[in-house]
Amino acid sequence: MAVYKRGYQRYQGPRTSHLSRIMVMPRFSWQRLMGMKITIVVLAVSMVWPLMCAAFIYVANHAELWQGMGGDMVRFLNINGRFFEVFMNTQAVFAMILAAVAGPGLIAPDLANNALPLYFSRPLTRGDYIISRLLVLLGMLSLVTMIPALLLFVMQVGLAGWGWLADHWIYAWGVFGGFALWIAIVSLVAMACSAYVKWRVIAGALVLAFFTILAGAASIMNAVFRVDWGRAVNPALAMNQIWRSMLDMEPLEGPGAWACSMVLVLMGLTLLAALTRKLRPVEVVK
Amino acid sequence: MNISTELRQIGVIARLELRRAFLSKRSFWVYLLALFPAVIFFGHAIEVKVRQDRWSREGTVQPAVLDRLNRGMTYNEVIKAAGTPIRDFEWERRRRDEDDTVRMRHVLLFDGRRRSDLTFRNDLLESVHTRPLASLDEDRQVFAGVFQFFFLRVAVFFGCLGIFLNLFRGEMLDKTLHFWLLAPARREVLLLGKYLSGLVASSLIFVLGTVLCFAALLWANDPVEVQQYMNTAAGHELFRYLLATVLGCVGYGSVFLAAGLLVRNPIVPIVIVLFWESIIGFLPQMLQKLSVLYYLQSVCPVSAPVEEGTPALVRLLLSPAAPSSVWVAVLGLLGLTALVLYAASRVVRKIEIDYATD
Repeated sequence: MAVYKRGYQRYQGPRTSHLSRIMVMPRFSWQRLMGMKITIVVLAVSMVWPLMCAAFIYVANHAELWQGMGGDMVRFLNINGRFFEVFMNTQAVFAMILAAVAGPGLIAPDLANNALPLYFSRPLTRGDYIISRLLVLLGMLSLVTMIPALLLFVMQVGLAGWGWLADHWIYAWGVFGGFALWIAIVSLVAMACSAYVKWRVIAGALVLAFFTILAGAASIMNAVFRVDWGRAVNPALAMNQIWRSMLDMEPLEGPGAWACSMVLVLMGLTLLAALTRKLRPVEVVK
Repeated sequence: MNISTELRQIGVIARLELRRAFLSKRSFWVYLLALFPAVIFFGHAIEVKVRQDRWSREGTVQPAVLDRLNRGMTYNEVIKAAGTPIRDFEWERRRRDEDDTVRMRHVLLFDGRRRSDLTFRNDLLESVHTRPLASLDEDRQVFAGVFQFFFLRVAVFFGCLGIFLNLFRGEMLDKTLHFWLLAPARREVLLLGKYLSGLVASSLIFVLGTVLCFAALLWANDPVEVQQYMNTAAGHELFRYLLATVLGCVGYGSVFLAAGLLVRNPIVPIVIVLFWESIIGFLPQMLQKLSVLYYLQSVCPVSAPVEEGTPALVRLLLSPAAPSSVWVAVLGLLGLTALVLYAASRVVRKIEIDYATD
C-alpha cells in the first residue's frame, strides 16, 4: 500500500539541555539499583574497610594511645603511600563486585528487549548513551572508592594539620586519579559484558571471570616464560603499578607505570570498540 | 517405573544435553579456558627450541668457562675467556638513591644447554645467573603451580560454572525448562541426567587440556631427560593430574548445579565459593576439609610452590592442612558431591517455573 502521508515528523519544540538529557538515565538507574537488596548488602560490606582505616588514622594520630610500644609500631602506624595503596587495593575488589552486580543490568535488558531504537529516536547519540550508562557506574562505584578515600584523606588532614597536607597533597591526587582510572576500566568491562551477554546474571559472572581469568593468565605467562611482563596483562596488577607511581612509591618489579598505562588504555579502547559495535539502533527481524 | 527404565532415561537426557554442552556457542569460552595453559606451554616449548637453535648457531662457550665466571671479574676478562657473547647490551642508569650515573651492561652466554646472564656495573661483573635453557624439574614445578593455581582454581571453576549453571538456570532464561518438566520422568532423574551430561562434557574438555599441557611440557625438554622421566614417574603423575581434573569437575559441577537451582543470581554463590576457596589456606585445618580444593590438592602429585613475592606475614599465616590420602580425597569429594546433589534433588522436586520473575 502506498504511503501518501507521513505519520511522523521531526520534533521542533524546545529541548531540555544536553546534560539534563544525559542525566535522565542515571537518575532512574540509581533509583532502581538502590532498591536492590544485593546492591545495599555489597555497599554495606564495602564500608567496613574504610571504617577500619578511619580508626587506624585516628590511632595513628593519637600518639598517647601507643606510647612505649617501640619503633615497629611507629613505622606501622604511619599514614603514607603504602596505607593508601592497601586501602585502594581492598576497595578495588569491592568496586569490581559492585560492578558485577550493578553493571549487567544497564545494557543487557535494552538489547534483549530491542529498546535501543527507542533511546536513539530521542535526541541521544550513541556516545551520550554510553556516557549516561558510565555515569551510573561512576556514581555507584565512587561510593565505595573515591568518596571514602577522600574522606579518609580529609580526616588525616584534619588530625595531622595543614603541614601534613603541604607535604602529602599528592596522595589526594593519587587516590582520586587512581580510582577514576579503575572505575573507568571496571565500568567498561561491566558494560561490554552486559552488551555481549543478553542474560543479566551471566554477564555479572563474566565480569568477575574477566578479572580472575586475566590474573591467572598473567601468572601463567610469567611462570612459564620466566618473565615479568605478564603483570601488565593483569588489570589489577597493572593498575597497582600505576597507583604506586601516582602515590610517589617505588615501582614493583616488572613493567613500569607507563607500560601498564599503555596496556590498560589498549584494553579500554578494545572494550569501548566492542561496546560501540554492539550498540546499534537497529532491530533485526528474522 | 523400575531402576533400569530410570537409568535409561538418565542416559537419554544426558545424551540430548551432551550435544548442547559440547557444541553450543556458549561452550566456546570453556574450550578457550581449558586450552589456554596448553597454548602457553606450547609457546614456551617453541621458544626453547628456537632459542636453542639460534644461539647454538651464534656460537657457544665451553661449559667450564661458565663455571669459572666469578663476581668481580672485568668485562674484558670475561670476553677474553668466553669469546663473542650472544647478546651484549650497555646502558646508563641513575636511581633515586644513587648520586652518580652508573654504566650497566648485560651479557648473555650459552654453552649449548645452559644460559648465563651476566650483569656488569661499571665494567665489573656484579651478578651471574646461570640456569638451564629448559629444565624438566623446574618445568614440573611450574606445571604443578599452573595446574593448582590456574587450572583448578580458575579454569575448572569458571568452566564448570558456565557448563553446570547453564543446565537449569540457562534453560530457565531460555524459557525451555518446562519441556523437560513435562516429560514423563522423575525430577531426580532429570537432575542426574543433566548432571551426567555436564560432567562428561567438562571432564572431557578439561582432561584434553591437561593432556595437551603435559605433552607440551615434555616436548620443551631434553629427550633423554624426558625418556628417563617417562620410565619413572610420568605415568603416575599424569594419572593423578587427570584424576584431580575429573574430581574438580565432579565437585564444582555439583556445587554450581545446585547453585543454579537455588539462587537466581549466580554472582552471590560465585563470590562466596571463590572467597572460601581462596582463604582456605588461612583457616583451621578442620575447615580446610570443607572445600573442594583441599581434596583436589591432596590428589595432585607435586605440591605447588608458594608464589614469589608473597609477603612474609602471609606465608606465616598460610598453614595448609596435611594432605589426605588419595582414597580419602576421592571418597571425601564424592561424599561432598552426593550431599550437594541430594540437596539439589530436594529442591528440583519442588521446582516451579515462573519465567516472568526470571
